[in-house]
Amino acid sequence: MPDRGTLLDWRPSAALPTLRRRAELVEGTRAFFKTRGVLEIDTPVVQGGANLDPGITPFRLHSADRPRFLPTSPEHPLKRLVAAGYGAVWTLAPVFRRDELGRTHAPEFRMLEWYRPGWDDTALRGEVLDLLAGLCGGGTTHDVLTYRQAMRTHAGVDPFNADADRLVAVLGAEADAAHGDRQASLDLIFATHVQPHLGHAAWTVVVDWPASLAAQARLRPGDDGEQVAARFEVFRSGVELANGYWELDDADELAARLECERARRDPGLGLAHDACLAAAMQHGLGPCAGVAVGFDRVVMLALGLDSVAATQAFGWDRA
Amino acid sequence: MGTINTSDLHNGLKVIFDGSPWICINVDFVKPGKGAAFYKIRVSNLLTGNSQEKTLRSGEKIETADVVDADMQFLYSDANGYVFMDKNTFDQITVPAKAVGDSKDFLLENMDVAVTLWNGEPIAIRLPNSVVMEITYTEPAVKGDTQSRVMKPAKLQTGAEIAVPIFVAQGDRITVNTQTREYAGRVSK
Repeated sequence: MPDRGTLLDWRPSAALPTLRRRAELVEGTRAFFKTRGVLEIDTPVVQGGANLDPGITPFRLHSADRPRFLPTSPEHPLKRLVAAGYGAVWTLAPVFRRDELGRTHAPEFRMLEWYRPGWDDTALRGEVLDLLAGLCGGGTTHDVLTYRQAMRTHAGVDPFNADADRLVAVLGAEADAAHGDRQASLDLIFATHVQPHLGHAAWTVVVDWPASLAAQARLRPGDDGEQVAARFEVFRSGVELANGYWELDDADELAARLECERARRDPGLGLAHDACLAAAMQHGLGPCAGVAVGFDRVVMLALGLDSVAATQAFGWDRA
Repeated sequence: MGTINTSDLHNGLKVIFDGSPWICINVDFVKPGKGAAFYKIRVSNLLTGNSQEKTLRSGEKIETADVVDADMQFLYSDANGYVFMDKNTFDQITVPAKAVGDSKDFLLENMDVAVTLWNGEPIAIRLPNSVVMEITYTEPAVKGDTQSRVMKPAKLQTGAEIAVPIFVAQGDRITVNTQTREYAGRVSK
């Protein structure tokens, strides 16, 4: 690794024309929400509680008073605003996820996130596609697949019924990496066999995720009778751009899910649960739908660039 | 040598898999949103040169290989192998013919060569990209044929044969690309 300050790495990660076009995309996003009456919010970059999503590790800050964390998404403050009756809100915020670095991952990136009180996931999907089409071009034409259909079509695996041997057979030499963990095996199959095929001719929207991957989404019966999550993801050119939910409104159900997640994690991480979010949920979120969009990935796609680092003024390697 | 975490993986890192040393030539991070994270890496075997893909779960521990490139000078070859001297410590080491391979064709006395050591044992050498060598035998040039692209065989001072343009003469000193084993120009005496 070059020392900080050498001639090589003081320079920006992105080229000047890229940053100019990125600024235009931010302006376009602002105009989109202004027209639709969604309020722009500046959310805090330091939180008193940690986001507890499976597979995502927050940074914990050293501080004098109490545990504080960098957000992995602006979800908690935005939901508290909705619970307080502030209506539809949006933000483009810095978020931080430990140990996630690659072509389409950066430990610091910008999340575009918004909430629509009174809407469900199907309605919000339409708005997401309108925004993405406006920023990237190509129209809103899209195909919709359930998670189960996507896995069956592209990997030949039925995620609800396939046994462990079937998953090992599909993964082949990669099976060792999942260490026999069923969910990890399904994640690896989705990432390597399914996702690269999604979103090429048009946007691909994947819906009806398994209940085990519901995070903070409501559950509803799927086409085949099992409970599925009211969750959708939008893909383009094999890249996941958006993750949206019809939000869970039941405070007790949420508390149970979060406690389950917190208990699962390494206690050494010292992740404190977000008491303010819990209180907001007790007060009542009301029916609403929310979506998180990886803004750097949208810029990457809109400008035909190779990596999220190429869209950032200073990527993780040289910030 | 030591263990590292998957988050430390990067190109150029030397690791141990299945008892052999490999070098990472590509590292891809793979993760569906809110799902388990993996690293798909492409590695090249430092003993055989073969490359393959490996997938690892994020958080797995990986053993790093004690592989270093030592700056050495070629001294001579004998029945045991090729003898090099470390330019810093002046220690001498014999590299077996297997580890030198075809590079023997371009090894000249006192040449600076990087010797790859794994746990202190020489496993490969890396020549400079080009070397100046003398043609010890080749058929005479045809008069006036300086623009021809026709090649003829020529023997170098190490006994190796390469193709040279038809106007090159015995006794000429030429530059040879050690990676492609091709003639790369004449050197004036």
